[in-house]
Amino acid sequence: MSALEKAFTSKPGKAIAAKAGLKDPPRLRRGRTWPEGAIVLAEIGDGSLARRTLTLLGRSVESPVVDDGGEPTPGYGARIGALVVDVTGLTTIPQLEELRAVLRPAVKGIERAGRIVIVAHPSAGDWEQRSVARALDGINRTIGKELRGGATTTLLHVAQEATPGDLVSTLGFVLQGRSAFVDGQAWTVAAAEQPAETLQERPLEDRVVVVTGAARGIGAAIARTLARDGARIVAVDIPPAGEALAQVANEVGGTALQLDITAADAGAAIAAHVARSGRPLYAVVHNAGITRDKMLANTDASRWASVLDVNLAAQMRINEVLLDPATEGGLADGGRLVGIASTSGLAGNKGQTNYAASKAGVAGLVEAMAPDLAERSVTVNAVAPGFIETEMTGRIPFVQREIFRRSNSLSQGGRPEDVAETIGYLLDPRSQGVTGQVIRVCGQNLVGA
Amino acid sequence: MSHNAVVIGGNRIPFAKAGGPYAEASNHDLLTAALDGLVARFGLAGTRVGEVAGGAVLKHPKDFNLTREVVLSSALSPATPACDLQQACGTGLETTIYIANKIALGQIDVGISAGVDSASDAPITVSDGLKRALLRANRARSAAERAKALAGIRPRHLAPQAPGVAEPRTGLSMGEHQALTTERWGIGRTEQDELAAASHHHLAAAWDDGFFDDLVTPYLGVAKDAILRPDTSVEKLAKLKPAFGGPQGTMTAGNSTALSDGAATALLASEEWARENGMPVLARFVDAEVAAVDHPGGDDLLLGPVAATGRLLARQGLTPNDFALIEIHEAFASTVLATLKAWEDEDYCRGLGLDGAIGTLDRARLNVAGSSLAAGHPFAATGARIFPTLAKLLHERGPGSKGLISMCAAGGQGVVAILEAV
Amino acid sequence: MSTVTLDAMPGMGAAFARALVPSRAKDARVPAHEVRVPGHRQDVARLADYCRVTGFTLRDAVPPTWIHVLAFPLHVHLLGDADASVRLAGAVHVSNAMTLHRPVSLTERLDLAVTAGNVRAHRRGALVDLSATAQADGETVWSGVSTYLASGMRAPGTPDDSPHPPFAPVTPHARWRLGSTLGRDYRRVSGDPNPIHTSRLAAKGFGFSRPIIHGMWTHARALAALEQRLPAVYSVEVDFAKPVALPGTVGFHAADAGGGWDAAVTSRDGTKPHLLMRVRP
Repeated sequence: MSALEKAFTSKPGKAIAAKAGLKDPPRLRRGRTWPEGAIVLAEIGDGSLARRTLTLLGRSVESPVVDDGGEPTPGYGARIGALVVDVTGLTTIPQLEELRAVLRPAVKGIERAGRIVIVAHPSAGDWEQRSVARALDGINRTIGKELRGGATTTLLHVAQEATPGDLVSTLGFVLQGRSAFVDGQAWTVAAAEQPAETLQERPLEDRVVVVTGAARGIGAAIARTLARDGARIVAVDIPPAGEALAQVANEVGGTALQLDITAADAGAAIAAHVARSGRPLYAVVHNAGITRDKMLANTDASRWASVLDVNLAAQMRINEVLLDPATEGGLADGGRLVGIASTSGLAGNKGQTNYAASKAGVAGLVEAMAPDLAERSVTVNAVAPGFIETEMTGRIPFVQREIFRRSNSLSQGGRPEDVAETIGYLLDPRSQGVTGQVIRVCGQNLVGA
Repeated sequence: MSHNAVVIGGNRIPFAKAGGPYAEASNHDLLTAALDGLVARFGLAGTRVGEVAGGAVLKHPKDFNLTREVVLSSALSPATPACDLQQACGTGLETTIYIANKIALGQIDVGISAGVDSASDAPITVSDGLKRALLRANRARSAAERAKALAGIRPRHLAPQAPGVAEPRTGLSMGEHQALTTERWGIGRTEQDELAAASHHHLAAAWDDGFFDDLVTPYLGVAKDAILRPDTSVEKLAKLKPAFGGPQGTMTAGNSTALSDGAATALLASEEWARENGMPVLARFVDAEVAAVDHPGGDDLLLGPVAATGRLLARQGLTPNDFALIEIHEAFASTVLATLKAWEDEDYCRGLGLDGAIGTLDRARLNVAGSSLAAGHPFAATGARIFPTLAKLLHERGPGSKGLISMCAAGGQGVVAILEAV
Repeated sequence: MSTVTLDAMPGMGAAFARALVPSRAKDARVPAHEVRVPGHRQDVARLADYCRVTGFTLRDAVPPTWIHVLAFPLHVHLLGDADASVRLAGAVHVSNAMTLHRPVSLTERLDLAVTAGNVRAHRRGALVDLSATAQADGETVWSGVSTYLASGMRAPGTPDDSPHPPFAPVTPHARWRLGSTLGRDYRRVSGDPNPIHTSRLAAKGFGFSRPIIHGMWTHARALAALEQRLPAVYSVEVDFAKPVALPGTVGFHAADAGGGWDAAVTSRDGTKPHLLMRVRP
């Protein structure tokens, strides 16, 4: 801890920090927990998808308080846990007023770590409809920045044909504490003909999941979280990290595979390891990554090559082998691929051209692969962590780190398990309609889109 | 009643020179690390394994139940039983044979063999004189008797005693014994240094190939065998002074194994169990033999494996040419060379009761991934290092490939075993 | 709060000698500053010795109680300050809570920092918290709070008089025989020179008929008894109910508490508690 860091975290330091607008960050709600207060459902237009999905989730709902212009402005008696607004029937600019009228009392009356979820259809239709769809995006992002106390907001674009079975894993994730550090984001849920089943406690029961870079940090958290959800973990890391890797593997009851993912036969080695287990390979989480930070002016070919190879090219080579139907131990149809992008990749970050290239490349890769693999029901997604408290971020100098950490709507860094929970959601068999998405786990970081 | 006992794989920690990075670690610590790595590799956390057999040559009295205590510190189910065995440097191979036999007999489905030694943490014991005086004092009925018993302690009794490195019956150290053998069989300095250099080069190449990625797990920040010198050469080795056999001796620190710390484990199971549980099947355990020579009567101390090899090959109807690979433990370079000469010696072999010479070995098949000169030799661990290494090498060569392991051990003993790739 | 940064871990002998001089002050006071040592390198040999004395297996991932031992000299140093009226020698260690935020490798260099505070009233004196953190590369990997009772001292506020929940006797499933040299062994690995643990005379001076073993030894031994049953990261709280005299024999009992453990070190018959421990993932 540097002296400066101490000044911030000491008592007088905190007093000064509070005056400067740096308050103690709100406590986030985590895990498979529901909001404490009531879940309020508002419907604008004649859509009922959210209502039916909440029923499937076994959540009772209450009616919204509507700001009808009366004085004083009507409000909720007790704090509400969440507001879910179904705007699938919203098509005109005047209808946006109906949205405002339910949002206003809700943002005032929402509990700490509460949720606002807007369920919309993807942008389509006439000029006005498409303009309105985009307006929702602006509303969502702004609410995220205005909400306090760790409450978050999410905009879901749900396909016209989607059923409650298609939406259940997504709405469950967003409302539960698992989405603690996902804020101000929007993503798409396609129709995927999923059965009308509620959330499973252990959705990954007995499914084989490979996690690279699993010895420490986010990778170890991913292994733990997915194992909690029932997965059989194949924990992969470089041989020198073997002792920590063995500890993680033994802790989650999985297997350790010491492997340099940049080796030419890495994909084959993973497949052979999986093939022996006699179980199909359900998912690969390409978490392994490195940084070799330098300003571009000082970045030589070797710094460039090693980061791009480990963070991007290696997973492409491995995917190629695992997606070959001839590979024994390769990815099964209906499987999952998850890459790790980064807000640095999406927004750029000084001193990280190589890293940003590799991580933006991951985002591009999943967007490109998703449609091609739809036929095999393989979903391909990425998560883009913002500032997550790990060994890697610990090396950033204090002032810069504190700025990064606070530069989001939740005023704090995320935890490795926040990334892990989001990956668990993407791996859920019921998340079949979620593919080609890059979900940021960044507390709505101020930088980037 | 009869099952195929197969090798699924192994795990060891990198070996290191005594007094090096593991200087403070005990046998318990070293073996727990090796076992936990094996458990992780094969997903055995919480599993009840049929039995774990392990052992150490240099052992503290408090470690009387070493292997069982290690199991309790490991991620295996605490309901896993364990036993300790000891057959000097043959321990790690003997524990493997013990487990393989139990599997073959259907007594267990799956078992782990292991060996560990720490020359850094060797037990220091009190002298016999002191021990007897203390026991007398303990038995004493009166204060006077006790005082008399304690008065019998002499200063010389108080000197701590390091573990015996000399053969109890000859008073010669292993190196001194081997020096006699080296001279008797006319083993030259250069061929010893060549064998030592080859051991380092082979081991280094195997590390570079990633061969050990699924055989070794790092411990205490050590990720690779620490004794290994990839850049050694016959020229460099030629500069070393003799360590055994007097000023004219040919045995040096470079062509003799270093005192080492390390631990190794191997996972064995019936072929059925391995297949049902989705485990790799590298090789089948075929047969084993143990022999001993009369070294107090003048026989070569470390040539015990010759008789064992001869009898085992005769029983199996095999010749050296039937083996794709042969592992001869490199206690000293000259041990390996004398062993090979003895194999070819008609008279010597007949003297052991064999029908004739065992035969000549194609040296290209010998210790192809390096052996003890380069890796080090934590006594009881070496057999459990070689066994899975050979199984993996044979598996790479394809089904039916046979391999032979030959290990010399103190007391003039030899342990040999045959594996066949599946 | 100001920070005093030391280049190296301070010795404890002199500070303890000062701490033995009775304080005439009646009001419990602790220094307001922080003491830290950056980049502390862990000594494998000492860790190995610590593991032997406490029963842990030497692994790359170190026990959380070991990190407490590393930070302890800083507590002694801090309370040796002229601003402090609370003396560590003679103060009673009543409880400890620590969290291992992630597995810590013995090869990692640790930035150790300690503070004292939260002085509050107790019916027999004043309670004070000694807090410590260990960071590796800026990430907090371990944090701990030791609560001490300074008997007879005064502190503002009213004592928390809520009674302890009664101890339900257990049937020990382990018995530990603590030899008379254990205090010296633990002194060697912990550096804690408090003679109350090694000298009968000193122990008598503080009202004990025999030396007592360090509470943090009992804590470590109890964690080591659970060893691989512990999760990779966890929080552990202990209450030191009654000192263990040396030599002595104690009982140990542990019960699964849904992913964590509830354990107790007790009298050999299990009727009286010496240490109560709660481990939670």
